[in-house]
Amino acid sequence: MDDAKPVIVVSDLHKSYGHVKAVDGVSFEVRHGEVFGLLGPNGAGKTTTIETLEGLNKPDSGEVSVLGLDPARDATSLKERIGVQLQTAALYPNLTVIELIEVFGSFYARSRSTAELVRDFGLEERQGGQSRELSGGQRQRLSVALAMVNDPELIFLDEPTTGLDPQARRSLWDHIRDLRGEGRTILLTTHYMDEAEELCDRVAIMDHGRILEIGTVNDLVTRHFRERTVRFAHRDELPEERLARVRGVRRVARENDEVVLYTPDVPATIGELLRLSDEMGIDGLDIAVRRPTLEDVFLELTGRALRD
Amino acid sequence: MLRGLWPLTVANIKSFYRDRAALFWTFAFPILFVILFGYLFSGGPTRFEVGWADQERTTASAGLRDAFAAVPLLELDDVEEAAALEEMRDGELDAVIVVPAGLQEALRPGAPPASPFALTVYTDPSQQTSSSTVQQVVAQVVGAVNQGLSGRPPSLSIDSRPLQTQGLTNAAYFVPSILAMALMQLGVFAAIPLAAQREKLILKRLGATPLSRGTLVASNVLMRLIIAIFQTLIIVGIGMVLFGVTIVGNPLVVAGFVVLGSMAFLAIGYVIAAYARTEDTANSLASVVQFPLMFLSGIFFPIDFMPEWLQPVAAFLPLTYLGDALRQTMVGGAAYVPLEVDFLVLSGWLVASFLISARFFRWQ
Repeated sequence: MDDAKPVIVVSDLHKSYGHVKAVDGVSFEVRHGEVFGLLGPNGAGKTTTIETLEGLNKPDSGEVSVLGLDPARDATSLKERIGVQLQTAALYPNLTVIELIEVFGSFYARSRSTAELVRDFGLEERQGGQSRELSGGQRQRLSVALAMVNDPELIFLDEPTTGLDPQARRSLWDHIRDLRGEGRTILLTTHYMDEAEELCDRVAIMDHGRILEIGTVNDLVTRHFRERTVRFAHRDELPEERLARVRGVRRVARENDEVVLYTPDVPATIGELLRLSDEMGIDGLDIAVRRPTLEDVFLELTGRALRD
Repeated sequence: MLRGLWPLTVANIKSFYRDRAALFWTFAFPILFVILFGYLFSGGPTRFEVGWADQERTTASAGLRDAFAAVPLLELDDVEEAAALEEMRDGELDAVIVVPAGLQEALRPGAPPASPFALTVYTDPSQQTSSSTVQQVVAQVVGAVNQGLSGRPPSLSIDSRPLQTQGLTNAAYFVPSILAMALMQLGVFAAIPLAAQREKLILKRLGATPLSRGTLVASNVLMRLIIAIFQTLIIVGIGMVLFGVTIVGNPLVVAGFVVLGSMAFLAIGYVIAAYARTEDTANSLASVVQFPLMFLSGIFFPIDFMPEWLQPVAAFLPLTYLGDALRQTMVGGAAYVPLEVDFLVLSGWLVASFLISARFFRWQ
């Protein structure tokens, strides 16, 4: 595979279900070896897009190329080379971990060793257990392990950590980072902005079937927010009129008991703030600095929060 | 092309084997029926009703009648031959003995030693107890008569003829019938795991692998056929061991109808899966389909016993023809329609159901 050539090219993809435009003119590229995230709320068109790339959906119009193949025409040869995890784990409930890995392996021309996959995804303890007895995290790990049976160069993960507890999410994130470390390309969808920030080299923000922005997490945040926020609990000794004159501060806001200062120059603002509180003899001013997140970017772009 | 076929079939069988509800309907339920019906009905009469058709009406034939009447196991019933055979078919007589004209002449002392005079004995080979008892009794009586005339070549012989009865008290009737019912349930209930696999996105997940849909369907059919073979062996085995049912027909023809019937009902199961959106709907629909099939297809009693207005319903139901075919081929049961018609009707249901399910089945 030519590393410089994009692994996935999508241009002007359209797909409707009845009158609903699920995907309405989506274009993007995924480069070799990167983790690319489609970020957006439920119903944004992420799943429709990813399933078109997997060859499970036929697009109404638009060009799609995956590993140089057309998923609608060369589905079988494409499926040999990609790994797929659907939004739901989709496991035969009465089969064991080992049986599932083996039967899925039998569908491919080449498959990885079952023992190795069981070990890589931390399923040794439950390898003889039927899938319906697994915990949510184990099911998701098994589901990703099944996506890996054919040793794919490109992996699709649709909402891989939805419904998992925080510990299980972190564990799955580690596995996904390992896959990236092995040089595989990963396309994942998520509606968790922290997941996108943790895992993705680049992110496309989707809403209502369209892509609003594409870039690295840093790009997107700095493109929309040049300022950071400095926050602390409100003190009567520090009135808002005074705070507005602190170096770097562009704007002062109140969020409940918290004062929020917007500033492009965090060190200058904090320096003066500390000096000020020292002069006034204020103890324990608990200062927090926060960079705007993808959540803020999404809010800025759509006017609503991501998880609603 | 067929990569994954056998591993997926094995996985399906394991999955099936671990599903208690499926196991119950496929094995426990029909076995329960066989055993229950077996003990309810196979106690059998201690006396056998034998039709006595005397076409000679001489003292010799009357003497012979006395000899048979003296046997406590038999209860003789004087009838005409044609009427007797009819009654036997309907299950009212266990056997029929016909005394042709010419007995007195044959037994007359000094009669020319011609070939022995033959009594015609009709028994039903599928009813082992009555058939063998009656034949033994007849052989003993005939032997005694021949001995009484010793010093001469045997004057009496037996011309034994099989005749299929339709006795309700007959394991031979319900063993093939319940096998047919079990195969029907195996096929119709295939709708449930299929709908479940679609609902749980398993079919969609398989669609994301290089496994072809043809292989997927073939694996499902193969798995059900393997289970059907086990069902057949178990049900027929219980019938043979516990209730003395013997298979009189060609085992290959029997196997052919087992396969054809299983596939026809499997295709009907796929039609149900095509119409049901969820596992729950598939479950209810399968029950709605299986109950009329079970009770209106001559499984528990012959169709002739059904109210007349219901009989056209039976003529429409595919299970009627599988039951009929299996009874005919396994135990030589009385034909409802000729075997060729059974074959055609079942094939018709198979092709039509297959086409309908192929047209309307949604994979996700």
